[in-house]
Parts: sequence; C-alpha cells; structure tokens
Amino acid sequence: MSIDYGNLCSVILKQCFGETVQLVGDCLFAANARSLGNIVKSTNLTRREVSTALGILIKYQLVTFQANDVNPFMAEYSLKRDEILYILRYSRYVHLIQTKYGSVGAAIAEELLYSGSQTASNTLLKCLSNNEINEKVETIRDTFVQMIRDNYLIKLPMLVPTESGEPELVPKLHIEDYDLFNPPEIDLAMLAKVQARTVQASQLRDAAVFWQLNFKRFHQDFRDQCMISAVERKLGSSAAECFKYILKQMYERTDPWQRQCSNPFTVVEVKQVVEKNSSNLDLIRHLDQYVALLADDSLHFIRKIGEMGGGQYVVDLAPAFESLALACIENVITERFGSKASRIFRVVRMKKYIEQEDLQKEAMVPAKEAKLLSYNLFQEQFVQIKTIRKAGGGGTGPAKAFYLFYLKYKQIAKMLLDICFKALYNDITRSNYEKNEHKRLIEKSQKLDSIVATMKERGESLEYIAEILETLTPPEREILDKVKNRIKTLSKAELSLDDTIFLLQMYLYHSAQVSVAPATKK
Amino acid sequence: MAGRGRGVKTGTLTQEQLQTLGCVGKDMPQVAQAPPPTYPPLMSKPVTLETTASQNYQILWKEDFLNHMRDSAYFLQPIEKSIAGRGVSRYNPKQTNADQCIKLKPRTEFNWSLMPAELQMANKKRKIVPKEAAVKLKKTKPGNIEDRLKVLEEKEQTEDDVDAPNKTNSDSEEDVEEEVGEDVDDEMDDDNDYGNAYFDNGEAYNEEDDNLDDGPVY
Repeated sequence: MSIDYGNLCSVILKQCFGETVQLVGDCLFAANARSLGNIVKSTNLTRREVSTALGILIKYQLVTFQANDVNPFMAEYSLKRDEILYILRYSRYVHLIQTKYGSVGAAIAEELLYSGSQTASNTLLKCLSNNEINEKVETIRDTFVQMIRDNYLIKLPMLVPTESGEPELVPKLHIEDYDLFNPPEIDLAMLAKVQARTVQASQLRDAAVFWQLNFKRFHQDFRDQCMISAVERKLGSSAAECFKYILKQMYERTDPWQRQCSNPFTVVEVKQVVEKNSSNLDLIRHLDQYVALLADDSLHFIRKIGEMGGGQYVVDLAPAFESLALACIENVITERFGSKASRIFRVVRMKKYIEQEDLQKEAMVPAKEAKLLSYNLFQEQFVQIKTIRKAGGGGTGPAKAFYLFYLKYKQIAKMLLDICFKALYNDITRSNYEKNEHKRLIEKSQKLDSIVATMKERGESLEYIAEILETLTPPEREILDKVKNRIKTLSKAELSLDDTIFLLQMYLYHSAQVSVAPATKK
Repeated sequence: MAGRGRGVKTGTLTQEQLQTLGCVGKDMPQVAQAPPPTYPPLMSKPVTLETTASQNYQILWKEDFLNHMRDSAYFLQPIEKSIAGRGVSRYNPKQTNADQCIKLKPRTEFNWSLMPAELQMANKKRKIVPKEAAVKLKKTKPGNIEDRLKVLEEKEQTEDDVDAPNKTNSDSEEDVEEEVGEDVDDEMDDDNDYGNAYFDNGEAYNEEDDNLDDGPVY
C-alpha cells in the first residue's frame, strides 16, 4: 500500500463520514491492527468519539475486529484498505443493479449502501416508505430474494452464541460458506404490523441477519464487461456475443476468481448455449469460425488445448488482462510522450531485450529522437535497463558492457496504479475545493431551484417566477455555470480513473502467482 | 582559518575551483529567484472525456449519496469544530444554526451486539443524577402542572384554616413564603424540558477517559 493510496483513502473517508472518522481511518491505515486505547492516544480524540467512529466503520464494513491473541478480552481493529476504494464505485454498483432489476432493485441497493448493512425486513420497510417506489411489498421482496440468488447480496457473519449465553466482550462472528446466499424468511404479515407500528421491528424473525452488497459479484460483471467490450471493439458485435456465451459456459464449471485460466469447455457446449439463448443467425451459423478467430487473435482471450467435442478451449484470464493492461499503458505513453515513444515501447515489448542502436532501427525513428524518447521512458520508469558486462578487460581499459532495454510489466502497472491513486486524490481534493469556494453560490442556486419548483407546483405566474429567478445575477449565473461544469468534468475524470484502476487491479490479480494457501473469499 | 584576509571572498568557490570540480561556466545552475509554477506546463492537451447517459446517472447518484451521508448521523466532525467558539460568540446566529443542524440529525443506530463491548460502554450516556433529583424532575412534568396547582391551592387553604386562629404573623413572613412558592413554580414552568442535573459542561470528558483507559473491571 502506497502513501498515495493512504491519502486517497483518507480523503474518501473525510468526504463520506467527516473528519473524526478520517482521523481514525488514518490511524488504522498506518498499522495492521490497533486497540481502542491505542487509537485514542494516537488521534488525540476522546474515547467516545473514537468509539463512535469505529462503530460507523464497522457498520459500513470498512473495519474488522478480532480478539487479541494475548488478551482475549481486548479487541483489535484493522482497516479493510481495499474496500475503502469501493465507496467510489457505489454509483457504478447501483447503475448495474438499475439496468438488471429496474428501479426496485436500485432502491434496495441504495438502501443497503446508505446504511452499510441492513436486515432484509428493514430494507423492505425503507423501500416501502420511499415515495419513488410504488410497487407492492411482494414485488420488492421477490426482487430482494432474486438479488440474493444471483449473488448480488451477501449475508454478513452472524454472532456465535456463547456456552454460558452471556455476550462476550469481543463477540465472535462466523458464517458458513453454504449459508452466504441463503434467502431469509420474510414474514409479510409481521412486516405490515411493523409498518402499522403495532409490533416492534426487533421482533421480526430476521432481525439478526444482516445483508450487504456482494462487491465481488459486481466486480465479476465489470471484468466480463471489460473483456466483452474489448472483443467488440476489435472483432465486432457477433464475436463479442460469442465471447459472452463462452464466459457464461465458463462459469458453469469454474470459480469466477480463478487466477490464471478457466477449466476447459468445448465448442459443442457453447453451441448449445448459443442456440438456446441467441437470435443472432450470423453467430449461430459461423460459431466455429468465431471461436477460432478469438483463439487466433493477439488478445489471447481463449486458448485451444484439445480437439475433444469440436475443440476444447480455456479462457486465459492472465494473458487476456496482460494484453488489456499493456494496451492501457501504451495509451498512457502515447498521451504523455507521443506516438513515437509508444512505438519504441511496442518494439521493446516485441523484442523483450533490445539495445539502443537496434531499437532506433526497429522503431524507424531518427537516432537522436529515439535516444531522447527511450531515455525519457527510462526516466519515467516505463522501460528498464539491464546491464550485461563482458568478462575480461582487466586493467587495460573500461570493461565493455551491453545496455539492454526491457519491460517489467507488473512494475509498470503498479506505478501507473499509484499515479491513478494520486490523480484521484487530486481530483477529489480539487472538487471539494471548488465546492467549498463557491458554497454560498451553490446553496443559493439550490434554494432558488426548490423555491421555483414549489412555485410551479402552486401554479404561480411565469412573470413572477422569472422575477424570482433574477435574484441570481447574470455574473453569478456565469460563475455558477463554470463551477458546475468544472465539477462535472472532475466527476467524469473520477469515473474514468476508476475504470483504469479497475483494469490494472484485475491485471495484477490475475498475473499473481497462485499462492499455496488460497485467500479466503466472500 | 588561514588565508582569510580583508577583502577575500569567503563562503563560495572561485571560478578556478569550480572548473577543477568539472563545472564549466554554462553548466552553472541559475539562481532561483521565484518559486516554480504550481502546475508544470502541459505538453499536449488532455483527451476530452466522453459523456454517456450512464455516466450522468452515476455522477448524479454520487452527488445524492454524498449529500445524504453529510446529512446523516454517521458524518462526524470533531467536537471542537462542531461547537467551536460557543463560549466566545454565544449568540452568533450562524452558530445557533449549526447547533440546530446537529440537533436535527437523526440518531446513530448501531447493532451493539455485533461489536466489541468497549465501544458501547464508551458511548453509553452516564446517568449521574441522584434518585431524589430524578423524582423531583418527574413531578415537574408539564401535564401535571394544573393538578399540582390545585393540590397546592388546597394545601394553602387548609394551611390557612389551620393558621387562621394564630394569624398574627407580619406581612414580611408571608412574603417569604410566597417567594418559596414562586421558586417551585419557576422550576416547573421554565425548566420543564431541561434537566439541570443533566448539564455537562464538558469538563468531565477527561475524567471519564481516565477511568475507562484502564479498561473494564473483570
């Protein structure tokens, strides 16, 4: 974890939960785990403030705790560093749910994100009180259950009851893997009673079962979308559709987060799925060719491993994301150093190890310019230099050495990731600055908008409304427009940066060597 | 140091010394007289960002989310900031507005059973009100005022009846009694929604901390 990422986490926490939580988050970021007393001492906040901040972070699933090894009565808190970045993706998650389940699904996701974690019944009650949702409670419940079945919602670990029945000072939470996506029992009759306030919400049957969005499932969809759109851009829509069904077939027998490559599948199986689900005649007729095209392409998304069942293939996730990440790096180089530098980068990539003189010949760039560009790339750490010294020479003169350019993909990806974190931090800071600087003007325009909206509802005359609108003077309006435009551009940049971060993170995940003890996953 | 006479420059290297060190005249770094520009000049114009419907949806949603979080009870500001300057500018209208905002925020809802007990203990409100005071507060509920007045009236009448034969007291004594009665009424009318015993001037914060720093007693 870099300093840039620490700064980014800090500013995200400040934006969402205020300065106190930011201080506690910073303190936790600096260490693996800390106790309450330790945090109080290092932050100079009161014990109550720190406790509330920790409560908030635990509620929003950004902090975990466990009993100290030496003193089981003392809890140690640790920050889920990766998940803080997910806060920036919340809008993306809701948008995905909106496209899949409509406004009801979006309202459910929204409620869960607003409250961090929530019971099913409470979520339903909040959706019912939402004026924008005019659906029946049965529809909302069915959508909720469907979202669980599709693994978009996940059950949180539950309290492990003690033998004595008394609560422990540091509660133990646990959940079995098979129970993660077990839909809850929602008693609609009881729910109606709670709504009518004749029964307490705590008496509901699922009062102890909390739910959260399953971010891994969303990331799986984003990853698929990333690959499908790459195929679409390069090989057309039919090939993209073909790849979509290949992925669908892949998930039948493969863990979605398998790192290197998937388990094998055959063309016959894909054919069956396509014939069942697709109406694209071109694809059905030329499926074999499309699969062969995908396997032959330089993107290396799938690889042939046998002839069984019309051809046996695997989806090669590691090389796929390597080519996508390298395309992204090339784009960055083109934007920063120009197309000639990008050509030099490609030559180094192709040749793996290359000398300066060969490089300028291969890239067909004038010697002086090639030297300048390659040194620039070296200075910014996009290419590395390996020195090979020739044996001998003795004391007769300087030993001859060969200087070879080569690439360290992972190092470049990590460096770019850090640049993205830094850019995101700058983006958010600038956006906050703009908002603070023009706070008065923004608030005035918001107030004016709400007044005008109510006036229109009341049916006031247009002249009167125009008169009210004139309270915002033309220069003020001009400044406001400029500020709004600037903030919107910054927000868009934030989304684009997050796309790049996601791609690079996927590349680093899939290119990592398989560890002996697999990491626990939700 | 030897060789340091009048008129001899000290502290900087001479041209010859610099040349022996390998610094030729044109290689000398120029003296910086102004700070560097805040942003380095852009070599090329950045790519313009595309705007799609989904992006617009996401931007608007995020704005709503941040506003919601800012208004929620889970947005914490340090105490010094949220009630800063209360003693200095007590009647500052801005300040009172800020206080109202704090009051208007909904209360935090935590499921304490899923969190370490120490967090809940630190968040518990300490009731240091003695029992008698609590009873007194209970009596001064706004709904009971009329009943209470009636009771007091009856009491006064009965007392008057009892005291009638002995009514040789001076007016000054009566005044004293009235004053006592007024005191009771004052508490009932003005302070009915404000418990004096609950008042916390903030001085007790550190004392609590000290007690709790040692951890709970097992």
